[in-house]
Amino acid sequence: MAVRGIASRLALWVLAGTMLVIVTGGLLLFRFMGHQILEQTHRESEALASDGGNRIQQRLDKVTNSAQMLASLIGPRPDDAQSLIHDVMQHNPDLAGLAAAYIPHSTAAATTSGSPFISRRDDGTLLSRDMLQDPSPYWDWPWFRTGLTCIGGCWQQPFFSQSRHRKLVNYSVAILANRQVTGVLNADVTLDWLQGVLSGLNKPPGGEAFVIDQQGIYLASDNPGLIGQQAKDGLLDVFSHPDAKPIREMTTQISRSDDPVWIYHSPIKGTQWQFILAIPESWIYASVQRAFLAALGIGGLALLAMTVLVFVITRRVMNPLGVLTERAEQVARGALDFTLPKVRQHDEIGRLTHAFDRMRLDLAEHLAERTRVAREQQRLTSELEIAQQIQTALLPGAHYLDARCSNFELHAVLQPARTVGGDLYSYFMLHDQRLYIIVGDVSDKGIPAALFMARAITLAKAMAPRAQSPQQLLQLLNEELCRNNDGCMFVSLLCGLLDTISGQLIMASAGHEPPVLWGRDVPRLLEFDTGPALGLDEEATYPVHRLRLRPGDNLLMYTDGITEATDHALQMYGQERMLACLARYAENEDGDPAGYLVTDVESFAAGRSQADDITVLALRWHHAGPGRSASMLDVIIDASMDAVFDMLERCDRELHSAGIDPDVRHDVRLVLEELMVNMVQHGREEPRAGQIGLRLTLSSGAIMVELHHDGQAFDPLQSPPILLTGDIADRDTDGGLGVHLVRAMASDLNYAHDAQGNHLQLRFIYPHKPE
Amino acid sequence: MSFSVRSESSSPQRVTLHLQGRLDAMTFGEFDEAAVGVLQQMATGSTVVLDLSSLDYISSAGLRSVAKIRKAMRARSGYALLVNPQPQVRKVFDIVKAVPVSDVFSSVTELDNYLDRIQRQIVDGDEEDN
Repeated sequence: MAVRGIASRLALWVLAGTMLVIVTGGLLLFRFMGHQILEQTHRESEALASDGGNRIQQRLDKVTNSAQMLASLIGPRPDDAQSLIHDVMQHNPDLAGLAAAYIPHSTAAATTSGSPFISRRDDGTLLSRDMLQDPSPYWDWPWFRTGLTCIGGCWQQPFFSQSRHRKLVNYSVAILANRQVTGVLNADVTLDWLQGVLSGLNKPPGGEAFVIDQQGIYLASDNPGLIGQQAKDGLLDVFSHPDAKPIREMTTQISRSDDPVWIYHSPIKGTQWQFILAIPESWIYASVQRAFLAALGIGGLALLAMTVLVFVITRRVMNPLGVLTERAEQVARGALDFTLPKVRQHDEIGRLTHAFDRMRLDLAEHLAERTRVAREQQRLTSELEIAQQIQTALLPGAHYLDARCSNFELHAVLQPARTVGGDLYSYFMLHDQRLYIIVGDVSDKGIPAALFMARAITLAKAMAPRAQSPQQLLQLLNEELCRNNDGCMFVSLLCGLLDTISGQLIMASAGHEPPVLWGRDVPRLLEFDTGPALGLDEEATYPVHRLRLRPGDNLLMYTDGITEATDHALQMYGQERMLACLARYAENEDGDPAGYLVTDVESFAAGRSQADDITVLALRWHHAGPGRSASMLDVIIDASMDAVFDMLERCDRELHSAGIDPDVRHDVRLVLEELMVNMVQHGREEPRAGQIGLRLTLSSGAIMVELHHDGQAFDPLQSPPILLTGDIADRDTDGGLGVHLVRAMASDLNYAHDAQGNHLQLRFIYPHKPE
Repeated sequence: MSFSVRSESSSPQRVTLHLQGRLDAMTFGEFDEAAVGVLQQMATGSTVVLDLSSLDYISSAGLRSVAKIRKAMRARSGYALLVNPQPQVRKVFDIVKAVPVSDVFSSVTELDNYLDRIQRQIVDGDEEDN
C-alpha cells in the first residue's frame, strides 16, 4: 500500500498524534513526579542528615558528659583522679585516652601523684602514665593552654597521634577546685567510630556522608581520600549558614563524577562540626526516569500495536472504497459490466456501494436507451433520405425542352426546407400535345406535407387525362383530397394547360400565388380569381383564366418560399424584389430564370436557414415554327345561321384539303353545326348580336377545335341525359338530341365560362392512315 | 343547292320521298314544307317511304323533321319507313335510336316485300271479316 493511501496516512497521523500526546503527558508527568520525588528526597535526606548528626552528637554527648562529670568530680578530689579515669576509660570505648593534666606546681598537682593519663592500646589494654614525667612538658602544648579556658568544655582541633597511629580529637574541660582552675581534663576521642556511624547510616546508593569540623577539614567521609583534607571555601560558607536547606552542587570535590549532587547538612550540636549528606541527582531521578522510560516503552509498543490495528481496520474499511474507486475509473472508461464488493454492513460505505450499483445500472440503462434512440434516429434519417429520393422521383426533370418543335422550354427548381417537403411541381404531356404544368404548396412542412404532396401529385397525374381542363382537374383533385381529410391539410395549386401547338394557355388557381408573366413587357403579376385551396371545401369551383402566349413570353410559377424568404433583419423578399429580379433577368434572357431567381433569393436570405420549401417553375414560349400543326382556321363570325353554315363549309373544305376522311369530316361538321346553331339560337334571346370564335387546329391524330361565344352561359355538358325510347316519334320535346350527338361524337369536350363568355374545347381523334 | 326532295307516288297507299344532299338546320324548313304537302294527301293506313340513298348528312334538325313525319303518319295509322341510309346517316340514327330497326330497310326490294306482306295481312284479315 502506497504512502498516499488513506489507511497508511491515517495510521501515521494517529501514530504521530498519540506519540505527541504520550510524550507531552510523559514529560509533564516526569516534571511533576520529579518535583515530588525531589521534595520527598529532600525530606528523607534531611531527616537522614539530621539522624546522622544526632547519632554523632549522642556519641559525643556521652564523651562530653563523662568528661564534664569527671572534671567536676576530680576537681575537689584529685586523689581519686587515677581510679575515676580508669573506670571511665573502661566504660567508654570511644575514648582513646583520658588525662587529668594539672597546672604544674599547683596545689592540685602537689596533692596528687602527678597528672595521670590513661591510654588505650591497640589491643584494648589500658596503659597508665604520669604526664609530668613526659620528656616534653605538656603545659607548653596548645591543647593545654586552650583547655584551661574551657570551663564548660570544648572540642580541640583533631590531630593525628603519632604514637597511636590514629586520628584523634580532644575534648577539654577545665578542672575547677575551689573556683580555681587547677588543670585540664583532656579526653582523646577516636574518630574511627565516626566512620562507622557514616557507614551505618541507611544511605541511598551513591549517597555519601561527610563530617567536617569548624575548620572545614573532613573528619570522616565515605570517600577515604577526603579525610583530613580542607573543604572548599564555597562549601564552608554554605555550611556556616544557619538554614539547613539542601543545595545543588556541581562540585567535583564531593561528587565523584560530573553529575550534580544534592547536599544536605546538619550541624552537630555541641561542636562546630557539620554532618553532610550528598545525594547524586541522577539517583533521585533514576526511579522516575525508569518509570518514564518504561511507560514510554510500553506506550510506544501500545502505540505501534494501535497503529497497526488502525492500519488494518482502516484498510479493511477502506477496501470496498478502493474497489469502488477502481470501478468508478472503469465506468469513466465506459466499462459497466463488473461485480461490486459485497456489502457487509449497512454503513456509509454500504450505502455508497448500493448507490453506486444503482447508478451503474441506471447508467447502463440510460446508455442502452441512448444507443437505441440513436439507432432509431439513424433509421429515421436513412428512411428520410429514401423518402427524399422517392419524393424527388415523383418530380419530373428540372429542365425540359420541347423536342418536337422547340415551341417551349421549362425550367424548374425545388428546394425543400427539410429533407422532404410539401412543395410540388409537375408537368406532363397529354396524348394530344397539350401540356399540364402544376405548381403547388402543401400546408405544413416535413413528412405529413410530403405524403400529402405525393398524394396530390399522383392524383393530379392520374386524373389529368380524364379532366380536360385545369378547372376540372382542380375540381376532381379537390373532391378526392377532401375525402377522409381529417387532418384538414390542404394544398394550394396553380395549374396550367398549355396547347403546345398554339400557345393557348388555360390556367386555374386553387388559392395559389399569381404567376409572373413577361415578354415584350416588363414582368408583372398575372392576377386572376382563384378558388379555395384543395382539400377544404368539397363544393368548391375554380374559375379559369385564358391567355395566348406570344413568342418570347415567359410564365413563372412559384411558391411562397420565394416571397416569404427573410433576411437577417427579418425583411421578406416580397413580390417587388421578385419582379425586380426577373426584370434584371429579362434584360439578358440568359440561362435559367428559375435558377436565377432562386440564387437571388438565397443571396438575399444569406446566413439564415431556409424556413420554407422553395419551388419555381418557369415556362418560356418560343413558338419556334408553325409546322403542320398550326391552326388551319382561326376566325370570328357573327352569330347568325348564314355565317355559321359558311363557316361549316370552310371547315369542311379545309379538312378536305388536309386529307381528312369524310367520316371524320362528317362528325366534325355535325358537332360544330349542333353547337353553333345552339349558340345562334341562344344568342337570339339576347339584345345584341353575339360573335362566335372558332379555331381549328390539326395535329397528328387529332383535330382540335376551340369555340368561343360571348353569349349567355350554356354548358352542353351539364344538360341532363335524354330519354331514348328507340323511336324519336315518341318524344314530346325536340331538345337534347343535338347535345347528345355532340357528346357521342367528340372525343373530348371541355367547357368553361368566364367574362368573355362560353369556351368550348373539342377534340376529334382519328386513326392515322398509312401514307 | 345543298338539299332537295322529290316525291313519287307509286300507289294511293304509298308515297316515296327521295332526299338528296344535307338535311340540317338550314334545310330542314324546305323539307318540312314539302312533307306537309305530301302528307295532306295521304290516306289512313298509307305508307310514306323516305329514300335516304342520296342523303349525305343529317343533323338534329333533320331528325326532328323525320320525327314529325313519323308522328303524322302514326296519327293516320300509317307508316313512315326509311330505306337505304348511308353509313354516316345511319350512324346518327343509331346514336339517338331515332327509328326502330324494323322500320329501316337496306333496299327498295326489301321494303317492297315487307309492304306486300303487310298488304296481304290486311287483305286476309278483311276476308276473314267478311
